[in-house]
Amino acid sequence: MRIVMTKATVYLLTIALGGFLFSSCNSSQKKQKSEEKDIVESVSVDGKLVDDFKKSKLIFYSLPSPLETAMLIKRAGATYNEDLLNPLSNIDKYSTNRQMALNLGIYSADLSYTSLFDQTQSSIKYMANAKRLADALGIMDAIDEETLRKLEENIDNRDVMLDIISETFMSSNAYLTENDRPAIAVMVLVGGWVEGLYLATRLTNGSVDNNKRLIDRIVYQKLSLYTVINLLEEYKSNEDISYILDRITELNEIFEEVEINNTSKIEAETNAETRVTTIKAESEAVISPVVFDKLMKKVAEIRTEFVS
Amino acid sequence: MRHIVLFTLLFISATLASAQCINYARNVGKELLGDYIHDGNYNGAVLEEGEKAELYKTFFSGQSYRVGISKVTQLPDIHLRILDKAGNVLFNNADHDYQLVWDFKVESTQMLIVELNVLEREGDYEDVLSGCVAVLFGLEPDKKKKRK
Repeated sequence: MRIVMTKATVYLLTIALGGFLFSSCNSSQKKQKSEEKDIVESVSVDGKLVDDFKKSKLIFYSLPSPLETAMLIKRAGATYNEDLLNPLSNIDKYSTNRQMALNLGIYSADLSYTSLFDQTQSSIKYMANAKRLADALGIMDAIDEETLRKLEENIDNRDVMLDIISETFMSSNAYLTENDRPAIAVMVLVGGWVEGLYLATRLTNGSVDNNKRLIDRIVYQKLSLYTVINLLEEYKSNEDISYILDRITELNEIFEEVEINNTSKIEAETNAETRVTTIKAESEAVISPVVFDKLMKKVAEIRTEFVS
Repeated sequence: MRHIVLFTLLFISATLASAQCINYARNVGKELLGDYIHDGNYNGAVLEEGEKAELYKTFFSGQSYRVGISKVTQLPDIHLRILDKAGNVLFNNADHDYQLVWDFKVESTQMLIVELNVLEREGDYEDVLSGCVAVLFGLEPDKKKKRK
């Protein structure tokens, strides 16, 4: 046992030192091989302690990102309405971690929405606000001056702008995760999700008949709500997360009144040549005008709390 | 005391490996998505041979998704399966030479499970390999055009 532990200690020191050196390097332009050099580990099977350390099965919950939500809203035929966005001037109100994290998500969602609708000047302003909150949360380098400059230089190229937005969202999320601040990361994600739901519900003008496709998008957020709740449950010992979970639970009670049923068996058709799999199933979602009205009001209430 | 030192080192090692995994996903994983736009979410972890991970995600109708799995090349193949909530297998990359990039469309919105399993090397080895595995989702852009 002594030999095993000595070997393991030396080995782990090597990994730790290698990892430290690796993480100290600038990683922006590295090739795959150099990326891999320090990432692969080989652990002795004799190291029983390693088995004890290993987790059984990892579970991830992936929420629709602000970018995906904005795309879904746009493809549902919704219009652009700047009045619905969280005013830029609200930023001065945010001083606690909870406020800053939620509104980083909210401004990210607004940024995605403005970009998808080609509102480039607004996009630059919302990116600047997102940067201020990211800086205040100590998310180093997620959005830097270079990011803002690149955004301004590419205002006539939507795909590049979307790529920059996606990169900043990933960087913020990754920074929080790697610096052991997952609760903040979850709050950013939930803030973005709530803002997307708020924009979508408001863009229906309060009618379930106004835009069926958009209503469909909203109703199916019931499935994402499962993900939101699971994410929050993981960190509910955190006071801020617990507060948000209570509010989201109220929203869930309304979503419980929404019915979603697969009316046929789920089947898949794969085209190996094009590498595309199409998943076929008929599904039916039902929401009554009364429930939709309750949902709209609850979403607006929660969002008002978040941005206040 | 030795246990404390060892577990501290294991923790430091895991934390550093995790940080490297993020860099790996950013620099290598995103490229797999090609002209699809990365949705901005990060899902990555250091996995060992034989280890399994599950990811729950809602796939919306009308949206084409590209799933790209990046792994360090020294790791064995990754077995990818897409399952519905009832556990029915809708896609299995073992039928397609363990391809790690695949496109998905759904005719109606569904919550699906993306299941990854790092296969174990064949034969007898005295060590266990582990390395970064990241799953990124790409969204098909509307059209390739420049605005005027």
